[in-house]
Amino acid sequence: MGLFRPARTVTGPHGEYWELYVSKTALPAWREGKPGRFEDGTGDPRGDLLELPFMLVSAVWGMLVEPLLRFLVLLPVSFVRGRRSRAIRIEAVNGFPHREVYLWTTTDDGVERVLDEIASGLAAGRFVQPEGAVYSGREP
Amino acid sequence: MSAYELVDELPSGPARAAAWAAYALTTYADKLAAAAGRSDVVAEAYARASACLDAAAAGGGPLPAGLPHWHTPVRSREQLRGMRDALDTLRTYLAYELHDEHAPQLARIDAQLARADELWIDRPPDEIRGAIGSALAIGLDEAYALGRRLMTTA
Repeated sequence: MGLFRPARTVTGPHGEYWELYVSKTALPAWREGKPGRFEDGTGDPRGDLLELPFMLVSAVWGMLVEPLLRFLVLLPVSFVRGRRSRAIRIEAVNGFPHREVYLWTTTDDGVERVLDEIASGLAAGRFVQPEGAVYSGREP
Repeated sequence: MSAYELVDELPSGPARAAAWAAYALTTYADKLAAAAGRSDVVAEAYARASACLDAAAAGGGPLPAGLPHWHTPVRSREQLRGMRDALDTLRTYLAYELHDEHAPQLARIDAQLARADELWIDRPPDEIRGAIGSALAIGLDEAYALGRRLMTTA
């Protein structure tokens, strides 16, 4: 079981390649912050030029620094919560042509059986809903 | 007379069906209140139970189509415990009424209990709590409907 190594790999009937990841940890969502509003400009080209560095810093802050800080702060909480629970997440990831992630949640009692059923379903081109598992559909 | 007593006193027919509805609603409200405290669903269940008792006293009448439902998909662990206790109680009553612990009429209720059992773990995440709550709500509706049929015609 691990976040970075697939527990199964499956090829679908039309050649689609799926990796199934099993983990106890739900990674915190990557949420980009809102950069400051600079789009209106000042009306003065020289003023707009002076604002350019602030716009860049604001964009980097909103798109990278803030979400990264949030992710790093929440990660230990997610990790501890996952360790204390008997719930298991199974994510099916297809990277081509667009990244798609589908989620099932089950318990540690049935994880191997559920994993087998999901793999068999994907090999047949279906998203199955095994007993003892909750299919949540595509992750945002 | 309380709903718990009335459903045992009346002969089968519309009045007993109303008494069953009152019993099921009161049981649901009592178990939820004991496990998770008061809520809108508890208040609604008690209100519907009171109306059903009036209908039973009048010899029958229009009854609620089902138990009150939650307006959000994910239940707390305490609410799930209350729902589970209520479903176990209603199932026990119905099995006694059918004189068979494993009567085929109970299969649909048992299927939902089994689904809840499979997912019942400590510290369940939202996805699992949502699925357990959904299974228990379906099971409670099945029990309520089966009881109404049985008490009317048994």
